[in-house]
Amino acid sequence: MSGGEILLDVEHVSLAFGGVRAINDVSFNIARGEIRAIIGPNGAGKTSMLNVINGFYHPQHGRISFHGKTRARMKPYEAASQGIARTFQNVALFKGMTTLDNILTGRSLKMRRNLFWQMLRHGPALAEEIEHRKFCEEIIDFLEIEHIRKAPVGTLPYGLQKRVELGRALAMEPTLLLLDEPMAGMNLEEKQDMSRFIVDVNQHFGTTIALIEHDIGVVMDLSDRIVVLEYGHKIADGTPDEVKSDQKVIDAYLGVAH
Amino acid sequence: MTDSPQASGRDAVEDTFPKLLRLHAQARGDRPAFRHKDRGIWKTWNWREVYAQVRALAHGLKTLGVGEGDKVAIVGANRPMLYWTLTATQMLRAVPVPVYADAVADEMAFVIENADVKIAVAQDQEQVDKLLSIADRLKFLSHILYDEERGLRDYAETNLVALSDLAAAGRAALGAEASLERALDVVIDSGRADDASIMLYTSGTTGRSKGVVLSAGRSTQAARDTVAFDHLTDRDEQLGYLPLAWVGDHYMNYAQAFVAGSCIACPENADTVSQDLREIGPTFYFAPPRVFEAQLTRIMIRMEDAGALKRKMFDHFIAVARKWGERILNRQRVPLPARLHYMLGEMLVYGPLKNALGFSRIRVAYTAGEAIGGELFSFYRSIGLNLKQLYGQTEAFLYVTAHPDGAIRADTVGAPAPHVEIRIADDGEVQFKSPGQFVCYYKDPEKTAEALTPDGFVKTGDAGFFDDDGQLRILDRAKDVGKLVDGTIFAPKYIENKLKFFSNIKEAVAFGDRRDFVTVMINIDLTAVGNWAERNGISYASYQEIAGNPRVYDLIAGHVEEVNRSLAAEPRMAGAQIRRFLILPKELDADDGELTRTQKVRRGFIAERYAPLVKGLYDGSEIADISTEVTFEDGRKGVISGRVKIVDIGQSPALRAGSRAA
Repeated sequence: MSGGEILLDVEHVSLAFGGVRAINDVSFNIARGEIRAIIGPNGAGKTSMLNVINGFYHPQHGRISFHGKTRARMKPYEAASQGIARTFQNVALFKGMTTLDNILTGRSLKMRRNLFWQMLRHGPALAEEIEHRKFCEEIIDFLEIEHIRKAPVGTLPYGLQKRVELGRALAMEPTLLLLDEPMAGMNLEEKQDMSRFIVDVNQHFGTTIALIEHDIGVVMDLSDRIVVLEYGHKIADGTPDEVKSDQKVIDAYLGVAH
Repeated sequence: MTDSPQASGRDAVEDTFPKLLRLHAQARGDRPAFRHKDRGIWKTWNWREVYAQVRALAHGLKTLGVGEGDKVAIVGANRPMLYWTLTATQMLRAVPVPVYADAVADEMAFVIENADVKIAVAQDQEQVDKLLSIADRLKFLSHILYDEERGLRDYAETNLVALSDLAAAGRAALGAEASLERALDVVIDSGRADDASIMLYTSGTTGRSKGVVLSAGRSTQAARDTVAFDHLTDRDEQLGYLPLAWVGDHYMNYAQAFVAGSCIACPENADTVSQDLREIGPTFYFAPPRVFEAQLTRIMIRMEDAGALKRKMFDHFIAVARKWGERILNRQRVPLPARLHYMLGEMLVYGPLKNALGFSRIRVAYTAGEAIGGELFSFYRSIGLNLKQLYGQTEAFLYVTAHPDGAIRADTVGAPAPHVEIRIADDGEVQFKSPGQFVCYYKDPEKTAEALTPDGFVKTGDAGFFDDDGQLRILDRAKDVGKLVDGTIFAPKYIENKLKFFSNIKEAVAFGDRRDFVTVMINIDLTAVGNWAERNGISYASYQEIAGNPRVYDLIAGHVEEVNRSLAAEPRMAGAQIRRFLILPKELDADDGELTRTQKVRRGFIAERYAPLVKGLYDGSEIADISTEVTFEDGRKGVISGRVKIVDIGQSPALRAGSRAA
């Protein structure tokens, strides 16, 4: 799937917090329709990279172009309205709200009627709400979470919360989906389910996916291409096979002295 | 047309399910026949729509070459489309063969191969994948049909057809050519009472399962009898949530609904059943004892977490219900103040509780399959749920005995069902003749002959006796009833059931036949014990860890002692008290072959698999090592190993002097 049209291009991006250089002159791209993994040891700058991509951090140097448009500074909600959705390393849901309501919040950018109409819940606003509910029900069916539709997410086990979070991201109908450690803290069965959902999202909706994940087995199975970061530098970029046999990657993971 | 509006007589014209369907489409076309929750919304089909849909499917199946006597396997959950495919198959005088959806590919291959299945109908991708993985072993299998399309769009197999496409094509063809409609009518009319209506495979408690052939006439007749017995009408509603392949679902939901014209509601999926139950509020309900037990456990756990006031109110009114509830349900004389007190309880406790469980509208509820604890049984009856027991078998097309309204006791399984003849053989075995009685085991005349007596009674293999008021009591499987070395009767299930009535104990396996004394292996119930552990500040990381916890052992030992006390009170059983027990480090699981698919323990298999533990139970050691293979849900295998503690238990003195105290 790689080698197609470039959806997102990251060029010479550097990001520093005070004196700490989180990302150092990193360039890579994401092709439309691929599953792209970003891996690296702890503190390598992976999550920072995702935060740069969705506009949460602004890099001091470098450029990012999405859909061929180069952006200067962008706020996260602008990224969202352009079709970039994400999930978080530590689940960030509204704990007191139900699964369904959480997923519906993912539709908020798609609501056309203003708050006044929505409060009246009448006529066009009602029709719109029904349409969004329908879409969310498709997601609930897709992720097989019917049984927790009305459950407050705070009461759910972690693996299910992760799934709900994925559901909320999908509700945005994203072009690019950023997943920050979607399988952290999951058992084997939950990991398998989640892998299946990621592949299905990619194949059936054609969503491009960038993911950070520590389970190397999962990464190698799922991804079309992998970027490897270490201490904010890019040390390798290629297909799973290329990356696996790269001496620098092996050193980074085995912790050879520099 | 030969339909009569009254279909309840014993010689009714509608002797097949397709004919019954046609009758309902005409007589009550607008009444709801099926409901299904999909994408969060309940959808309803009336009898007329169902009839049209089934006809379309039947024509579609016909174009795939299905004809009289062909076998069509159906694998999946309770979805309207699968029920309809089942009727469509019967409409062509072909034979549906439902297969347990949770069967692994190998078990599935056995059934499909044994039944000479021509077409397999699968619910979804998961089942299609299983079928494809065994397809090369199945020489008769020509097509695989599926209900849910997800994930299957890109499959290259050419013999894979969507049920919706098949129905659409069938509908178009029938609409275009009136002669095809007439041809289908002719096939429906040609259906006969002695057509094979369905093949249900037995759960295989004892080895490979057998295909039980049931005929159309007998099936509809049996269902007519019990519909009349329990006064079911087209106003009734039931939740079809039990496995399609199990006689219970085919009888209680399918057959009874097709006779009474009542409505079958299909749950959204297996995980949502309890919520769907609440939303539908069925009027007729069946659940195995363990479901009632799990619900009661959940209620009690939640009450323990409730505030003091609520807890007090609950305890007070449950005590009232225990005292008066059953008498009120049985329409016995109850003093007015007690009646008013109970009514208040109904408003404050029982009503809301039944509502939360989805029991508000239930007129008749049944339980069967295992013995149910007296406490448990009375609890539900006391809060006003008309819970009854029945005793049945696939070979009888379910009902052998059932509790008639007003004569209900926890320790019996009821009096003979309408038109059922029962006798007790000399060796104590229960034998019956019933209206729904099976025709034969498919392709197995030898086993068929073994199951029948020369004069045509079916041998149940269960030991039992009639008590003084004519109700049947079941002891155990006749062949499982054994003897201790000293001659004391050892009925393992009897002991196991006593243990299982404690909510902390999920399963128990008793040993003792030709041994010096009785020992048991116990499976704790993780929900109940987990909650107990939480309240007692015991932390644990895994099932294995909590199962080995010394305080859990103390807890269970208390239960075992109590069982011994109750055994001691029965002269016949006092000598068969439990001497030693252990707690298994792993849950018994059907995937590992330790339970049947209907969750019955396979004692012999367990004895073999845990041989070192059985040895430990009898050689006096305090610890035994075990390492055993487990199958994970994805089919991979792993090994669990560990040390298991074995504990000695004191014996209760037998209450009557002169009996064999151990």
